[in-house]
Order: sequence, then structure tokens, then C-alpha cells
Amino acid sequence: MRKFSQSLFAIIISLAFGALILWLMGKDPVSAYMDILRGSGLMEKVKYSGRQNMFTDFMSFIDALTPMIFASLAVALALKGGFFNIGIAGQMLFAGFCAHMAALFIPSKIAVIVIGFIAGALIGALIGWLKYRFNVNEVVTSIMLDSILMYLITFYINTFYINPVSRQSKSIISGARLTLSGFRWEGMKLDIALAFPVAIITAVILNWFIERTTYGYEIKATGLSPHAAYYAGINVNRTALMTMTLSGALAGLAGVSYFCGYLAAIQPGETPLIGFDAIAVSLLGGNNPLGCVFASFLITVISKGTIYMSSRQNIDIEIASLITAFILTFAACSSFLGRRRK
Amino acid sequence: MAENIVEFRHITKRFPGIVANDDVSLSVKEGEIFAVLGENGAGKSTLVSMLFGMYEPDEGEIYVRGRLEHINSPRYAGSIGIGMVHQHFRLVSNYTVAENIVLGLEPVSKIFGIFPYVNIKKANHDIAELSERYGLKVNPTDVIENLNVATQQRVEILKMLYREAEILIFDEPTAVLTPQEIESFLKIVKGLRDGGKTIILITHKLREIKAVADRCAIMNRGKLIDVLDVETSSTDDMARMMVGRDVSFKTERKPAKFGDVILDVENLTVRNRAGFEAVKSVSFQIHAGEVFAVAGVSGNGQNELADSIAGLVMPSGGTVKLNGHDITRSSVREHLTAGVAYIPEDRHNVGLVLDFTLRDNFPLRQYYTGKFSSNGIISKSEFESYGEKLAEAYDIRSGQGGSTITREMSGGNQQKAIIARELDMKTPLIIFMQPTRGLDAGAVMNIHRHITAERDRGAAVLLISLDLDEIMDCADTIAVIYNGSISKISPASEISTDEIGLYMMGVKTA
Repeated sequence: MRKFSQSLFAIIISLAFGALILWLMGKDPVSAYMDILRGSGLMEKVKYSGRQNMFTDFMSFIDALTPMIFASLAVALALKGGFFNIGIAGQMLFAGFCAHMAALFIPSKIAVIVIGFIAGALIGALIGWLKYRFNVNEVVTSIMLDSILMYLITFYINTFYINPVSRQSKSIISGARLTLSGFRWEGMKLDIALAFPVAIITAVILNWFIERTTYGYEIKATGLSPHAAYYAGINVNRTALMTMTLSGALAGLAGVSYFCGYLAAIQPGETPLIGFDAIAVSLLGGNNPLGCVFASFLITVISKGTIYMSSRQNIDIEIASLITAFILTFAACSSFLGRRRK
Repeated sequence: MAENIVEFRHITKRFPGIVANDDVSLSVKEGEIFAVLGENGAGKSTLVSMLFGMYEPDEGEIYVRGRLEHINSPRYAGSIGIGMVHQHFRLVSNYTVAENIVLGLEPVSKIFGIFPYVNIKKANHDIAELSERYGLKVNPTDVIENLNVATQQRVEILKMLYREAEILIFDEPTAVLTPQEIESFLKIVKGLRDGGKTIILITHKLREIKAVADRCAIMNRGKLIDVLDVETSSTDDMARMMVGRDVSFKTERKPAKFGDVILDVENLTVRNRAGFEAVKSVSFQIHAGEVFAVAGVSGNGQNELADSIAGLVMPSGGTVKLNGHDITRSSVREHLTAGVAYIPEDRHNVGLVLDFTLRDNFPLRQYYTGKFSSNGIISKSEFESYGEKLAEAYDIRSGQGGSTITREMSGGNQQKAIIARELDMKTPLIIFMQPTRGLDAGAVMNIHRHITAERDRGAAVLLISLDLDEIMDCADTIAVIYNGSISKISPASEISTDEIGLYMMGVKTA
């Protein structure tokens, strides 16, 4: 309950700051925020182009929401186990890339999900292993792996897998893509995120896993007090390795639902911003899997809706990142303020 | 009569679920040693913390030298001449003594009259002088981490004196000291008083109060019971007021009935983290129904001995047998299933997951067993009912019952929780490591009673303590550890405190 009010506080303060900035720029904050809701398919726009309406907007919002849920779950699980997995972006990229490659041989949606899960898990396991074998700080390894993976993959795409027109990687074939793009139904053109139900189910299962299983108990004990966990007879190293492996696997699911779902291709030379926003989302959600779903919803409303808002209000799209950054700052502050006692 | 230097008027302070101080009014006179006595959770630390600006009272006022003060930070408290030595020292461990003392108030000189730098020579000189003046022996250039606890405490005291504090607060100052160190600490305190300082001493050790204090406030459950002149009051009276009932100081014990050998330790050698042999070829046996107590000065291998028998540290040589089974190289969990309960010294970092709820801490050592989970799925209802059962059986008090975050509980109740958890496993061997450190008389009694009860149940008890009184009260057999070796093992009835002391200091060896 305390966490919930902290999060609410962070959101309100951040939106107020955002409004202040909009106002200083000479814009009307209320109509700008309403445009954000319109852009996410939560309010009716003034007019729509052909085969589009509020529902199609909402469906593409869900499409953008799906990888965010997975990514924030990855952060939340790692934090429960005492790890700060800041390298979600790199793990996503690696998983997305592996799935692209696999889809060339096995064009199946199931294969994409499985490959993404495994690829992410491998990177997570590597970070966990480096931590317990050599005691290398996971923040350092995960952020360094981000760069290593990004440049390796960029090199490969630019050399072997480039689409010369779009300057992106080739697109994944539609049979393996996790989003049904341009699906025609009732005269509408919809983007259907097939991984969305998986994301929701994953959040529910993860919550149950953390709260109701002995593994979850071990992860929490290890995260909060490794010495006490060791005294309890918990295999601390194995638990740490398992936590990071699972966190990486969730990041991998985020990767495939992003690069093989929401997008169909990989932009070389970049890591996905979602990987970093996920940290804010997880903090905002109180590192609780179900909290993450709601926080993902909110942050995605802002990031997705701002595209429409920026074109309507003639404001740079970076305002979305700015508000998200505010939320991150305040969420972090309030969670620290909350534990200041004693 | 000297005048009042500190006055608390109608102080009330509440924490969630607890009234820590309930309308407390008392005054401290200039130049006296004023003791505040009470059980853990009686509110004595809270009261004094408000004087040092760590909390602010919800109601009531604090007057210092007749002036109403709103002390909202330790910094402000310092500026009006109030200093405090906390139970856990606040020193930078890789700085020298002098650097620690001047930290924040460094003597500054300027190169070429422009560039400021810390004049450490002057600091060293000042500290040496200060240490001389108050008879507090320290070497200004020693690094803190190389010093023993008693010396670190002297550094803390000098830190206050350097800041020209007139009112010196000590929070449980003797909890970590050996008997000899306590003696010298009490002398220091008297010396400070004779030098004109006002001393406020938070403690629950009656003997120390009797030895040094002029007056003594007694608190119980947040309320001030009385303020007594120490000279004219007996320790029995003080104890009764503190606990709110009669306390007998000696635990009633039936004579021990030894059974079979439960624990058989042979030539046990344990290296510490630095690779140094902390326990050297130690051998002893503990029988069913025996309390085997290990006395010794802090840092003579007690931690390593306890940790290795409990399975937390792998011995480098020798064997440990429990009921004839070799458990020398078993894991922590194998030790548990074999039947070794362990109450560790560090209850905050090892004994408990402080940020867990009380209810989640109870099954810490058994959560994986069929009692609390099946096929890896935890039984919430079992967690809940078990928590209620233990809290009830061991009288563990907490603000919000089983959902209380353990960190927010008092030290005594935290320790009770650990003891409840370990004893409830009904194991053949129980290791108590410093079980009553920092606890009040009531809690100590309670724990000693548990130790005796476990013995009478037929368990083998290994009690490791720095507190000689505790060892004399509880032990059937006494061993003394010095420099990693056991220098003496004797039936408790055949050895005197003085003799143990000589073995502890290494004056006598076997």
C-alpha cells in the first residue's frame, strides 16, 4: 500500500512537471495530455484515415505495450534477487537477432518465442556466472555486454542481413512474426500482438512464482540478505545464477516481441530504449509483477501517445522521454524516502 | 545543588503501533552521571535520541541549560554541546584515529596562504594532547580497523571531547566490552564527570549503574517509573522497577544428567578468511543434557568455532561428529537435517532477513520441508499459523503481528524470534553464540531459562559467550578459548571466575 502511494506520488509530480514544461513552451497542457490519450487509442481522435479508428489505435498501443511488460518483469525479478539488470536492452537485441536468424530456417512463431527465451537466458546466465565466479558487478558486465552485443550484431546485419532500401535489417517473414500486421477485420486494419496474452500470463505466473514457491522465497531471501540466505541453507550462488538466467529469459521475450513483433526488423547501431524505460517501469510498479503491468501501461501511454501529440501540438517527441525520466527520478526518490526510517 | 542542564518536559513519541515514550518528564543535573535504565523497547534509546536530534518528540519540550531547544539534527545537537557514542560505532575504518576525530572540523592551514589543506600534523598533535589531558590512551596515527573495540570506543569519546561536548551520551557502551575493558571504561566515565562533564548513560546493566551513576531513571514500556538516587537504592529494587516484577538473578537449575556423547569434535582446525588459523586443533565432547560453555576474550576464534560446527565455514582439518555421524564437510542444510540449530552472533545480517516480515522469517531454515511447502509450493496458511504459534509461545512482541517488518522490531524481540525458530526445531545440538549481547535483564533471564530447558530436554548445548556471568549462570562444563586453542576444560563447579579470567588472558595455559 505504501509502495502504491509512492508510485502515485511519482506519477502525479512527474505529470505536473511535464505540464509545467508544456505551459512554459506556450502550449495547453490539458489538450496536450488529451492528445497523448488519443494517440494511444484511449480517446476518440477528431478524424481517422481509412480503415482506422480508436480500436485500431488501441490495438497498436497493445502491440507496443507487450515488450514493455516483459522488459519490466525482467528488471523486477532481478531486483527481487538483489541484481540490478541494467542490460535489458542488449539482452533484447541479442534475443531478437537470434530469433531473426532462426526464423530463416524454422519460420514458426513458437520457435521465435522459444529461441528468444533461450537467447536471453544465456546472456543473463553469463552475467550471473561472472558475478558469482569472479564477483564482477552485474551493472558493469550487463552494460558492457550491451555495447559488445550491439556492435557485433550491427556488424553482422550491415554485412550479411541488410535491407538496402530501409537501411535496416531484413524483415522477419510474416509466418514467424509475433504481431499480425494489417489484419483485416470488420473493415478495419488491425495490428494484433499475439504475445500480449503471453505477457499477461507471464506476469501472473511470475507473481505466483515469487510469492508462493520456495524458489521465490530463496530469491527474495538472497536478494535481501545473502548472509542470512546462506545461513538458511540456501545455495546462494545457484539462486543468483537462476535469478539472472530467468531475468535474461524475460528480457529475451521482450526482445522477440519487440524485434519480431512490434517491429519486423532490427535497426543496426541502436539498442532499444524500452530496455532502459523498463527500469522506471519496474520501480514504478514497486518491483511487483502485477504492478509492472500497470506501470507498463502508463509509461507506454506516454511514449506511444506522444507521437500523435507531437504532430498535433508541434512539440518535439522527446517530451515523452522527459516525462518518463521524471517518473524514474521520482519513483527512485520515493522508494528511497520510504526506507529512510531506521 | 548543581542546576539542571537538560530537562525533558512531558515528552511523548509514537512509532507505528507503539508509544515509545509516554509523557516522560525528567531532568539531568550538570556534572552528574545520569543513568537511564530499562528493558529493550522500554523507550530509553528513543528518549535520548531525541536529545541528540535523531528524532523529534511528537509532544513535549526539551530544555537545555534552561533554554527551550528544537533539536532537529545531530549537527544542531553538537552545536549546543551534546555528543553521543552510539552502540555501533560511527568511524571510518580505513582512516587514522586523528583523521576520524577531526573529521568535519579539520584544522586547516594554507599553502602560500592561499590553498587550504588539512594540517594532519597539527591534528595528530592536538589529538595526542587531548588524549593526554583526559587520560584516554590512543595513538593518533593508528588506523581504526587495526584497533580493538575498547580503543575504538575511546576514539568515539575523544571525538565528542574534540567537539567540546559538555553533555556526553553513551548508548549501551559496555555491551561489546570484556570485563577488564568495562572496568577501565567505568573509570574513564568517572574521570569525565570529575572533569565537569555531564554524562547520560543508557544501559541495562545494574552493576555498572551501581558502580558509577549518581542518579538513575527507570523506564518500563515507554513510561518513566521513577528516578532514584543510586547510592540509597538496592539493585534488587531497580531490577524490580525495570521489569515490573520480581526478578531472581540466578536461574533455578536442576543438576545436570549427562547422557550419551552428542557432539564429538576432534582436532578441529579452521582458517579464517585471511587464511590464518583461527581455531587450532580443538577437541571436546558435549553430552546430551549438558551445557558446554566456551569462555574467552573476543576474537580468539569463537566465531570460527561456532560457524564451522554449524556448517557455515568448512574446517581445514579435524572432524566433527554428531551422534557418531561425520558432519565435518556437510553443507549448511545437511547440518540442519542432521540436527544442529544455531543462534548466530550477528542477528541482523545472518540470523534474520531484516526486510522480511516476522512471519516469513520463522520458516527461514525449514521452508523447504514438507511442513511449509509441497513440491516447491509454499503453504501461506502454514506460514501464518506457525508465525502466530511461535510469537505466542515465545512472547515475541511486534507492532503489527506477523506482518511486521523484522527491521522495525526491537533488538530483544528480534533475538527472541531467532531463538524461537531455532529451538522449535528440537534438534539434538544447539549452538548459542553470544545469545544475550545487548539485551536487557528480563530478556537475558528468559534466554537463560530456555538454555536450561533445552538441556533438561536432553539436548547438547554449546554456549559461546564473552559474558562471564552468563557462563557461570548456565554452564555445566566450562572451556576457555585463548588464541584459537582450548586452554582449559573443567566442570563448572570446579573452577572459579578468577581462574577462568587467567586462562582467558592467556596467563595460565594447560
